Amino acid sequence: MASITRASVSMPSLSASVNQSQRRISGMNSVSFPVSGRSMIPSLRLQRGLQVCCAAKQETVDKVVAIVKKQLALPADAAVTGESKFAALGADSLDTVEIVMGLEEEFDITVEEESAQSITTVQEAADMIEKLVEK
Amino acid sequence: MGERAAAASLKFVTVQANSASLAEARARVFEFFKTTCRSIPTVMEIYNLQDVVNESQLRSAVSSEIRRHAHITNPKVIDMLLQKGTEELHNIVQHSKQRHHIIGQYVVGQRGLVHDLGTKDEGTSDFLKNFYRSNYF
Repeated sequence: MASITRASVSMPSLSASVNQSQRRISGMNSVSFPVSGRSMIPSLRLQRGLQVCCAAKQETVDKVVAIVKKQLALPADAAVTGESKFAALGADSLDTVEIVMGLEEEFDITVEEESAQSITTVQEAADMIEKLVEK
Repeated sequence: MGERAAAASLKFVTVQANSASLAEARARVFEFFKTTCRSIPTVMEIYNLQDVVNESQLRSAVSSEIRRHAHITNPKVIDMLLQKGTEELHNIVQHSKQRHHIIGQYVVGQRGLVHDLGTKDEGTSDFLKNFYRSNYF
């Protein structure tokens, strides 16, 4: 009975399947989940993954790029992609804050302090905008 | 837009800023800049500036004012400048100023009053233009 509680600490929804397989593999001190429970894990991981690393829409990225170009006074044919860092494009810290403010105005959102400090590339800005617009 | 104005209006308790270090003063400057930017829609509505200027021009006017003092490293001087800036923002948002003040100080700006004045002032010396801009040149 003690081994069942050890294995089912973090996944309470799997406790039923864990119970059955623990009776079969009793005595094994394995950290990994038994085979019968593994089919449920990928779907949970996918749900969590969708919130964090889904790509932003292309039109959002385009709008962000337009705002960045206008703020930093770059020519219209300058190469600004999703991976460009603001610092590499010639923005100092005040420019970065101003770009975030421009995005707040354009998309009618409010960015908190912690999220604003973690933005260094165009793609991160677009992802954060998507997350805030969805709410 | 309503939630942005609400987020900005809470900050109008003027506390004496005593920054312990340059990093803290820098953080306060960014907070002040964000508060100002979030108050810009309110300002435009109060003074009816919709036909004269748009939000991003006002934002760049504010950032150029901040950038004029970007070379300062003494936290106490930065605190003093922030206090003056907060007072100015408070006056503007409370409608203590008038429309021509805003247009003259932030829309036309520091350079416009001298340089864009038509042909009679184009021949004035650089000394005078620098003098109008600031005391130190």
